[in-house]
Amino acid sequence: MADDQVMIVMTSGPDTPHRCATPFFFATLAASMDYDVTMFFTIDGTLLLKKGVADTVYPKPGAKPVGDFLRDALDAGVKMLACTASTELNDIALEDLIPEVKMVGGATMWQLAEECKTVLTF
Amino acid sequence: MATIHGCNLPEDLFYNIEKHVWAKPLDGGVVRVGMTSVAGKLAGGKLNAVTVKAKNIGQEIKQAKSLATVESSKFVGPVPIPVSGVVLRANDKLAADPNLAVSDPYGEGWIADIQPTAWEAEQSALVSGADGVAKYRAKLEAENIRCA
Repeated sequence: MADDQVMIVMTSGPDTPHRCATPFFFATLAASMDYDVTMFFTIDGTLLLKKGVADTVYPKPGAKPVGDFLRDALDAGVKMLACTASTELNDIALEDLIPEVKMVGGATMWQLAEECKTVLTF
Repeated sequence: MATIHGCNLPEDLFYNIEKHVWAKPLDGGVVRVGMTSVAGKLAGGKLNAVTVKAKNIGQEIKQAKSLATVESSKFVGPVPIPVSGVVLRANDKLAADPNLAVSDPYGEGWIADIQPTAWEAEQSALVSGADGVAKYRAKLEAENIRCA
């Protein structure tokens, strides 16, 4: 039996650093539970995928940067998709993003939402 | 019970040393499963949760798939099942006190009881006895892990 698919839609970014680590933690946790996990980044979330940015965002003073949580999620096998419209929203070019991210249209988010057992939004 | 670099490692258990899990045959063909003292150390020593997915009770989990998850402020990850088996029950005490898996990993801190579906074939992937502990010692030394 294939693993159940789940998705986390990430809309939070560097303006709300306090909100930026937990979604990655939940993604890693889901992967540890053998879910097939996708994080879909849009609005401010896409900013975290810019090279170098996640390492400058701290959920809590003195804590691990969001970059560490992002890398843990990638190591656990979490797939990361970014919405093309959000790159325009934020004036980001594809080359600016970390290589592990795949760019997709918004329709992909709806398709995935239909296939997924659970969708969370942060 | 052997103590290697501060880590307790009983010789009568079957270990997957790569994943720091143990298996112990009980009566009636049931096998009890848990995480080793090394796993507790690597997770940072203080756990927030050890959770067996409720859906897994009564289901067969194939060897190396996730039996449970461990969460600490340092670490989140799976506890892979050491051999394929049907999950009979999870240890209820861990819900209230996940740190039993650290303070008493081979006793009160057990994670689940399973009915193995391929013990004869799969237990050869595990190590046991004095030889098993020696292999675990080699891994601890190679990775510079100490429990105390």
